[in-house]
Amino acid sequence: MADHNPDGDPTPRTLLRRVLDTADPRTPRRPRSARAGAQRALLERASSRRLSGQTKTIAKGRSRGARSIGRSAHVQARGHLEEQTPRTLLKNILLTAPESSILLPESVVKPVPAPQVVQPSRRESSRGSLELQLPELEPSTTLAPGLLAPGRRKQKLRLSMFQQGVDQGLPLSREPQGNADASSLTSSLNLTFATPLQPQSVQRPGLARRPPARRAVDVGAFLRDLRDTSLAPPNIVLEDTQPFSQPTVGSPVYHSLPCTPHTGAEDAEQAAGRRTQSSGPGLQNNSPGKPAQFLAGEAEEVDAFALGFLSTSSGVSGEDEVEPLPDGVEEAEKKMEEEGVSVSEMEATGAQGPSRAEEPKGHTQVTEAEGSQGTAEAEGPGASSGDEDASSKAASPESASSTPESLQARQHHQFPEPAPPPGAAVLSSEPADPLLVRHPPRPRTTSPRPRQDPHKAGLSHYVKLFSFFAKMPMERKALEMVEKCLDKYFQHLCDDLEVFAAHAGRKTVKPEDLELLMRRQGLVTDQVSLHVLVERHLPLEYRQLLIPCAYSGNSVFPAQ
Amino acid sequence: MALSTIVSQKKQIKRKAPRGFLKRVFKRQKPQLRLEKSGDLLVHLNCLLFIHRLAEESRTNAYESKCRVINKEHVLAAAKVKSRFLFLSKN
Repeated sequence: MADHNPDGDPTPRTLLRRVLDTADPRTPRRPRSARAGAQRALLERASSRRLSGQTKTIAKGRSRGARSIGRSAHVQARGHLEEQTPRTLLKNILLTAPESSILLPESVVKPVPAPQVVQPSRRESSRGSLELQLPELEPSTTLAPGLLAPGRRKQKLRLSMFQQGVDQGLPLSREPQGNADASSLTSSLNLTFATPLQPQSVQRPGLARRPPARRAVDVGAFLRDLRDTSLAPPNIVLEDTQPFSQPTVGSPVYHSLPCTPHTGAEDAEQAAGRRTQSSGPGLQNNSPGKPAQFLAGEAEEVDAFALGFLSTSSGVSGEDEVEPLPDGVEEAEKKMEEEGVSVSEMEATGAQGPSRAEEPKGHTQVTEAEGSQGTAEAEGPGASSGDEDASSKAASPESASSTPESLQARQHHQFPEPAPPPGAAVLSSEPADPLLVRHPPRPRTTSPRPRQDPHKAGLSHYVKLFSFFAKMPMERKALEMVEKCLDKYFQHLCDDLEVFAAHAGRKTVKPEDLELLMRRQGLVTDQVSLHVLVERHLPLEYRQLLIPCAYSGNSVFPAQ
Repeated sequence: MALSTIVSQKKQIKRKAPRGFLKRVFKRQKPQLRLEKSGDLLVHLNCLLFIHRLAEESRTNAYESKCRVINKEHVLAAAKVKSRFLFLSKN
């Protein structure tokens, strides 16, 4: 196509003028079509320039203008119009179009569609719409608008319907011609179907998501938190069983316990200042113990564990002592501190970590036992230190042996339970296993507990059931109350069963005795039999054991 | 054996009977007596029913005193009321 465009003139108006001036006023088909093509090309180029520089609406307007011109050119090519040449049409355009804004070439469009035939208008409008839709492809469209047309006839039809409606709306809106709003409305009408999304995307570049700013992870704090949390749970687990052991001791001892293992891992010195007396020697023992433990190849966690367990154990033993003998505790504290000093001296000589951890524990136990008894206090530390002097390793079995004695001594004081054999067995097994530093602390610390724990554990099972049946939140004191009630209940139960068995002349309590008991309690009546209760409350396996049931082969289980 | 049956409860309740615990308690209390093998299950049943009644009574007490939490006093009062069933001395 001939390039009539000298340079980038802003308005199509000027272009048209130029065209009109330069072109011949002949009306042969070819030059007309050529002219139309040239005009179209000019306009499209202008519209492309517009698009590149400005918003799409303007370009669409331009393209509409181009479309209208193209329409007119096509019309001309058909030769249906009587007197209208592109020249005349363009003149009309120039005359009628308001010069004010570039945005209103639509008014240019209005006089044009009136004399048009449907088909060419359709094609041209669709072509224009195509141009609307493909602003980027304008250079290609300028080159081969004819090629585009056959390829997209299907789209054309659909769009053309809309376009027709819009075009029909245009003559109506021609009345308020001077109204920029109407034209803008029509332009918006014309434009909306094409590319409604593009203006938005152009207008809002900020929709692009920014990656959220992330803080760099403080690894040190994280590791510290890890350590603290790793410390806390085992101690919490250990201390969870505590509330049942000595309910009357009170909170301060408990509170000190969670604090102590926590801080112990962090700063031995600070903790020593803060801690209660019972855990003090434990710390002192462990601070010299630490380097050896590092030598043994264990991590700080072991220290923490040992610290935690030691402190809890010593705390536990401290608690136990507090109750019966508050004065004995003070003595025990002094003993423990002395022992701690002496033991730390011993340990500094180079005993093993686990055995070391064990020994102060044994020492504390020993010292507490001695302190509680109030007899042979000098002997206790002397004997234990003598054991220490002999050999570090030999001291451990000796301390193990001494611990049973101490434990038994304590038992006389407190609880008649055979704890030392398991405790001694555990302690003796520990020195044989220096690598498993973690496991020894646990059984060691639980050796004073089994006297209480199985009983309390069993009771706690029923206490949980109580809270389950109650379906309401309960206070701790209430749960302790329930424990006491259960204790009494069990005592009475056994007494009653004894009476019943004796009444039946037996020494074995049989299920009949139980049934009688429940009948007396009013649980089993003539209406409600024992089997009903069994079925109601006990799980299936127990039901099978209790209620005789007939099986195949003429057998009844359980045998009656 | 049989484990929790979650009956619209948040926490799981073990329905196992602590048979070893019961046996130990009985032995400690009455070393001269022997307990038959199914007997401890019935003892467990008895305990369950006892706790059930106690809990119901405490719950009633708490309702009557318009507390949202079961208190020590509620439990005590319940135990006193129910003691006549079990010859419990009032604690």
